[in-house]
Amino acid sequence: MSKESEIKTNVFAKIRAGEISMRSRIYFIARVALLLALVGLAILSAMFFLSFALFSIHQSGQEFLLGFGQRGLLAFFELFPWWSFCTTVAFIFLIDFLLRYFKFGYRLSMLELFLVAFVVVMIAGIGVTFTPLHAILLDTADHNALPVMGPLYEKIHDSHQEQGIYRGTISSIQNTAFVISRDDNDKDTDDGTWTVVSPPGFSTTTLYVGERVYVAGTLMGGVVEAYGVSEFALDSR
Amino acid sequence: MANTQDPRTDEVLAALVQGNNQEAFGVLMDRYQAKLLRYGRRFLAQDDSIVDVVQDVFIKAYENIQSFDATRIFAPWIYRIAHNAFVNEIRRKKREPLLYVDLDAILSHPSYEFDPAADEERTQMQTLINRGLDALAPAYKEVIILYYIEDLSYQEISDILQVPVGTVGVRLRRARKALKDYVERI
Repeated sequence: MSKESEIKTNVFAKIRAGEISMRSRIYFIARVALLLALVGLAILSAMFFLSFALFSIHQSGQEFLLGFGQRGLLAFFELFPWWSFCTTVAFIFLIDFLLRYFKFGYRLSMLELFLVAFVVVMIAGIGVTFTPLHAILLDTADHNALPVMGPLYEKIHDSHQEQGIYRGTISSIQNTAFVISRDDNDKDTDDGTWTVVSPPGFSTTTLYVGERVYVAGTLMGGVVEAYGVSEFALDSR
Repeated sequence: MANTQDPRTDEVLAALVQGNNQEAFGVLMDRYQAKLLRYGRRFLAQDDSIVDVVQDVFIKAYENIQSFDATRIFAPWIYRIAHNAFVNEIRRKKREPLLYVDLDAILSHPSYEFDPAADEERTQMQTLINRGLDALAPAYKEVIILYYIEDLSYQEISDILQVPVGTVGVRLRRARKALKDYVERI
């Protein structure tokens, strides 16, 4: 008997000897369920990190930089929470990888699948920013009651003075200049006051004492030569 | 050869196997043993391990038969198991480098098929295959085998290789060109 003709005999011998057995349908259903759970978890994680990046930009006032011209744009990209965005992209790659186990996954090209996952995560992530989730987590972190993620939220309060960003409350206004004070409640070296010279064409008449402002400029001799000023109604501390 | 003349379809037989009918599994083995051995011999070239690999394919098919959806076609399902087994065999022997990332599947490609009824083209390809198939890279060799020798459709090949249908078309076009170029050179 040739080796080829023994294939069937060998396989049946193994089946009868109990060396091989059929896996139950439950096993495959459980595997698909696990895969779907992983996909769901990856989508939720991607949504979380993307919405955190958007929340961080909004909450810290970095979004104002987009209206401050070329210098503002450069500062925006410098301060952009890249780690959060990159984590989102990494999770989208993971979603792609997991979806390729399904028929609809491999029938699309990797690029198409990535774009579909990216758009879904973008829309869902933007949707999350309309919920109070991150505001609640930030508040919890501010009260030192958020384990693991706490330091990430606390970084939103970072001053970024080295990048020429100053946030504070107006304490006095004089013609084209005004004084702002910063106090982030931690009594550290970035607390203090600065005199801000408004950018050309900016009218200080729209400002008032006690108002929070977001200033981008260059600090020289204790005076900030601003190239952008924006009212900052959010809690900037 | 009575089993191969069984009028029941592969899918009906697979559903019976799912209900623990071992005789039905025997019929499926009779139907696919020669095809998978041929596929393996073409894909792996002459290799002593082909019979063992095909035996493992049937063992895996039996173990995983409950994952087969009997409303779908059986052939791509078992060819998929065979494809994985043959690729693993190539990797195990490290005879030829295989890419883990499928570059052809990154971008989408328009999906159009050659005219399968073009007998002249088929005859010409048979000659080319006989003369130069072993010179092709595994990814190209495999689509040629599945399309021209195993006579499977683009959709079935897409399900076996788990790549978009457009990628099957692109790979087949490149494989034909590579085969023609090789045969012209020798």
